[in-house]
Amino acid sequence: MADDLLQRSAIRLGERATDRDDAIRRCGATLVEIGSVDPAYVDAMLLRERSISTYVGEGVAIPHATLEGKSSVHRDALAVLRFPDGVDWGGETVAVCVAIAAKGDGHVAILSELAQILLEPDRARELREATDPDDVLRLLAPVGQSPLGEDAA
Amino acid sequence: MPTIKGSDVHKVVVACDAGMGSSVMLASQLRKQLAGQAVTVEHTPVSSIPADADVVVVHRGLADRARAIAPDTVIVPVQVFIGDPAVNAIVTAVKNGSDLNG
Repeated sequence: MADDLLQRSAIRLGERATDRDDAIRRCGATLVEIGSVDPAYVDAMLLRERSISTYVGEGVAIPHATLEGKSSVHRDALAVLRFPDGVDWGGETVAVCVAIAAKGDGHVAILSELAQILLEPDRARELREATDPDDVLRLLAPVGQSPLGEDAA
Repeated sequence: MPTIKGSDVHKVVVACDAGMGSSVMLASQLRKQLAGQAVTVEHTPVSSIPADADVVVVHRGLADRARAIAPDTVIVPVQVFIGDPAVNAIVTAVKNGSDLNG
């Protein structure tokens, strides 16, 4: 369930990328590494980004594949990659990517929380400046649930 | 161009390419904004827009595909998924019962 969706090992807060594609490849490689997706999923993420940006505001993008990419998903998962130097994202600057691989709806609660964060400038800044995975887990924990990291322990 | 009265809106569908990212976030926001109204909010891939949708919200780049699939339904294109004025216009129309074009 939600506990497994965002694993601590998929939260990487000191990433660097030369450009948007590079950042998406880093996100995709993380999803591959944790066994969530096939490498083909990463290509689908790049394609999707070229057709429609996944930038959602406040320095956050949510790279994910198109519908076709769903067949490359083994297990629903999220990855959070932070790029302290920022990445040019078609004119916007992205500091945090929340990469998504999902066949089902298990991740909806976390994305709802992310949507709420984007409407609250202070929490959005906390997410952009997070250096401790526990802070990310706490920020993204759906309201009414204890931090995901503790649940998983 | 189809028009619907806000008071006749009972199902809003947020559609995106895969139905796994932006549409999920936007649907959750809309659901909060429309809490207390007799309106359900769903998110789907643009290829699976249900026939009983009263209003379809899609990214601008997918609006033509959505219109081809649901030609008689009000389609509301958005540019940004969080805080887009077009989304606020839906909320206002539902609450006031005013017309919504698309």
